[in-house]
Amino acid sequence: MTSMLTDLLVASVSLTIPVLVAANGELVSERAGVLNMSVEGMMLTGAFAGVVGATSTGSPVAGVLCGLAAGIVLGAVQALLSVTLRANQIVTGIALTTLAIAATTFGARLLLADRGVSVPGFDRLAVPVLSDIPVVGPALFAQTGLAYALVGVVVVLALLTSRRTGWGLAIDAAGEDATKADWAGVPVRRVRWLAVVGVGALSGLAGTQLALSEVHTFTDNMTAGIGYLAVVAVIAGRWKAVPVMVASLVFGVAQALQFTLPALGVDVPFALLVMLPYVLALLAVGGLVTHSRPPSALTVPFVRAGA
Amino acid sequence: MTAPPATAPAVAPALRLSGVSRTFGATVALDAVDLEVSPGEVHCVLGENGAGKSTLCNIVFGSLRPSSGSVERDGEPFTPSNPADAIASGVTMVHQHFSLLPNLTVRENLLLGRGGVRLDRAGLARRLAELEEAYGLAVDPDATTGALSVGARQQVEIVKALLPRPDLILFDEPTGVLGPAEIAGFLSTVRRIADAGTAVVLITHKLAEVTQVGDRATVLRGGRVVGGGPLSELTSDDLVTLMIGREVGGLDSVLAASLGLTSPEPVGSPAATTGAAAEAPEPAGSPVPAAGPAVLEVRDLVVDATDGARTVDHLDLAVPGGSIVGIAGVEGNGQSELVSVLSGALTASAGTVTLDGTDVTAAGPGPRAALGLGVIPEDRHHDAIVGELTVAQNLLLGRLDELRRFGMLDRRAMRRRAEDLVARYDVRTAGTDAPISSLSGGNQQKAVLARELSLDPLRCVVAAHPTRGLDLGAVDGVVRRLREAAASGVAVLVVSSELSELLALCDVVHVAYRGRLLGPVPTDDPTARDQVARLMTGAVA
Repeated sequence: MTSMLTDLLVASVSLTIPVLVAANGELVSERAGVLNMSVEGMMLTGAFAGVVGATSTGSPVAGVLCGLAAGIVLGAVQALLSVTLRANQIVTGIALTTLAIAATTFGARLLLADRGVSVPGFDRLAVPVLSDIPVVGPALFAQTGLAYALVGVVVVLALLTSRRTGWGLAIDAAGEDATKADWAGVPVRRVRWLAVVGVGALSGLAGTQLALSEVHTFTDNMTAGIGYLAVVAVIAGRWKAVPVMVASLVFGVAQALQFTLPALGVDVPFALLVMLPYVLALLAVGGLVTHSRPPSALTVPFVRAGA
Repeated sequence: MTAPPATAPAVAPALRLSGVSRTFGATVALDAVDLEVSPGEVHCVLGENGAGKSTLCNIVFGSLRPSSGSVERDGEPFTPSNPADAIASGVTMVHQHFSLLPNLTVRENLLLGRGGVRLDRAGLARRLAELEEAYGLAVDPDATTGALSVGARQQVEIVKALLPRPDLILFDEPTGVLGPAEIAGFLSTVRRIADAGTAVVLITHKLAEVTQVGDRATVLRGGRVVGGGPLSELTSDDLVTLMIGREVGGLDSVLAASLGLTSPEPVGSPAATTGAAAEAPEPAGSPVPAAGPAVLEVRDLVVDATDGARTVDHLDLAVPGGSIVGIAGVEGNGQSELVSVLSGALTASAGTVTLDGTDVTAAGPGPRAALGLGVIPEDRHHDAIVGELTVAQNLLLGRLDELRRFGMLDRRAMRRRAEDLVARYDVRTAGTDAPISSLSGGNQQKAVLARELSLDPLRCVVAAHPTRGLDLGAVDGVVRRLREAAASGVAVLVVSSELSELLALCDVVHVAYRGRLLGPVPTDDPTARDQVARLMTGAVA
C-alpha cells in the first residue's frame, strides 16, 4: 500500500511540473491582460525542439536551450499577433497550437525518423538522505536536475512578479486598465510583449522537461492537452501564484491516477481516467470549484485613444 | 543653460505651443494653436465641450502627436512619445476621469509606473509627508482606492501628480465630479501649487473657477484660439462671448448656470432670465409639488451591489406630473443605480416602483416604455445608442413592430418617421441612413431625446446627466425639450452633478447621499443653493 502511494506521488509530481511551469508563465501573461491559448502549441514545440537539439548534439542541455529558443520564437509570434496587431487572442492562440501540432508531426517525420537512436535526456538525481524519506522522499527529492532548475525558475518568477514589486504592479495595472496604466507611465506594450514571450519561454521549457526528463523521446502530439490544463490552472487558481501552483498539483494528481489506479487493481475503465483532468478543468472554468474575477482587461488589446 | 537662445525671453516659458494642429481623419480638433505658460502661473484653457481642450492636454502629455506645429518646454523642443516620457521630463496630468486603478491600494497606485523590482516605500512615505506639509494634502496609503469617496480619490490623484516634482501640471476638467465644498478646497490647492513655482494648466468650462484661481486665460472655440490674456483685463462676460461666439445677454438661466456664471447667487426663480419663465410650468403657490398625484413613485427601494455594498438604501421618491424634480449629489451616492432600476436595467433588492399606479418593479425596459416611461441614460454610448446602426434604426428600434408590413420592415415608413423626428428635434445628420456614431455628441443626445420623448403615451421622463458633454446649443435644445415635456403634464426626473443647472431647471431638488434622498429643497427659495450644498455634505435639513 505504501509503495502504491509512493508511486502515485512520484507520478503526480512528475506530471505536475510541466503544468506548473507553463501555468506560472501563463499567470503572468493573463495578469498583464493577454490570454494565450497557444500554451499547448508552445509546449509541444518546446518538446520537439528539445528532442531534436538533444539528439543532434548529443547534449541534453543543448536540447533544453533549443526548446527554450523554440518557445521564445512562438511566444514572439503570439505577442506580435496579440499585442502589436491586436488580433483576437483566442482564435490566434488555437490557430498557433493547431499549426504547432501539424508542424511538429511533420518535423518528426523529417528529423526523427530513425527512431532507433536513443534520446539523450536527464537522469533522476536522488538527493542523499532526503530521498530516503518514506512516501514523499522519492517524489520530492529524486527528480532530474532540469526539474529542480525549473521549480527554482517558477519560484523566482513568482517572487519577482508579486504585487510587492514594481514589475508586479506594472503587470497588474496593464491587465486591469491599460489606458490608466499608460497614463501612470507603465510601458503597457512592452510589459505585455515580455509577458507573452515569457509564456513562450516557460512553455518551451515545460515541453523539454516532459520530453527530456520524463518520456525521453518525442511522439506526435505528446503534450495531449497539458498546455490547456495550464491555462485552466490559472483560472482555477484565481490568478494568484500559490493557488495556481496548487491547481497545477491537482491536475498532476488527476493525471497520475491514470497510471496508478489500474496498477492498484481498481477496476475503472482507462478512458474515464484519461478524462478526469479535463472534467476537473470544465468544473473549474465553469466556476463550480472557485469563483472569482479575471483581470478586467484580459483579452482587451491596448491602443492609445485617437493615436 | 548659460546662453539662452536669442529669441527666448528672460524666463523661458514652462510650456510653449506654436501653431499646433491635430486632425482626426477629416475632423480638425486643433487648428494652429499658440499657447504660452510661465512657471508659477495658473493658465486657464477655456472652451465648450468639443473645443479641443482635451486634445491639447493629450498632446502635451504624450498621448497624442500633433499633426503639425511645435511644442517647447523651457525653450527646448518637447516631443514626448508617450505619457511615461512626459512624466520623466516633468509633466504630469490630473485626468478628468481618474487615472487611478480602483483595485490597487493608494500606495500601489502612487508607486505604479516607476519600473524596477524594488518598491521605494520609505521614499514614498517621506515624499507624502513633504506634500502634506506643503499643501495640506493627506492621503491614507493603505486604503483601497476604489473604496474612497470621489473627493478623496481626487486628492490621491493630485498627490500622484505632485510626487515626481513636476514643473508643469495639467488639470483636465478636474471639478466635474466634486461637490461645492470640495471645489473650494481644490482651487486653493491649485493656487498653492502655482505659488510654489509650478506652471499649472487648468482646463475647464466653468468661469467661476477661472476667475477665482486663474492668472491668464486662453479661450478655444472649434479648435482655434479665439482670445485670451491676463484675467485682470478680461471680464466674465468677455470670456463667455469668446467661448460661445455670441453675446451673453440672451442666455437662458440654465445655460448661464452650466457655464458657472451665476454660481454665487441662487438661481432658478422664474424671473431669472427671459424665456425660462414663460415655458416653465409653475405649480402655483405650492413650493412642494409632491402635493399633486405622483406619476412615478418609488417606495423603500434597496439595491445591493454584487460585491455586497448597499448602493441604494431605503429610498423614497415621488415625481408628480407636470413638474421637474432634480436629484443632485456627488457622484457615487446611488444616483446611477436608481436610474438603472427605474429604466429596468437593474433589479432592485427590495422596494417598489410604480408608474401611474401600475407596479413595474419586475417589468423589463420594454413594458416600461409601453407604459410611457422614457429614459435618457447616463452613458449615451453604452446604454442609449447602437453606434453601428443608422440614425433611423436607432430612433425606431423600440417600435419596430409598428413598422411592419407583411412581416417585413417597411423601410419607407421607417424613413418617413425618422425624417420627421430628425426635423422636429433638430438632429443635425447627413441623413437618416448615416450611422449614428458619425453624429456629434450633442446630436446623438438629441436623437436619444427624440426617441424617448416621442413615446406615445409619454407619462414620465428620467434623464441622467442629460447635458453632460454637450455644447451650449445642444444644452439649450435638451433643456427646452424637458421643459416642454413637463409643461404638457409629463413627470420629469433629472439626475445631474451640475448643481447650478438643476437649480435653474427644476422645481424641487433632492440630494442623493449614501443611497438615500435628502430634501426636497424648493428651488424658488432664495437659500436653495446653500441648503442643497449643505445636504450634499450629509447634513440633514
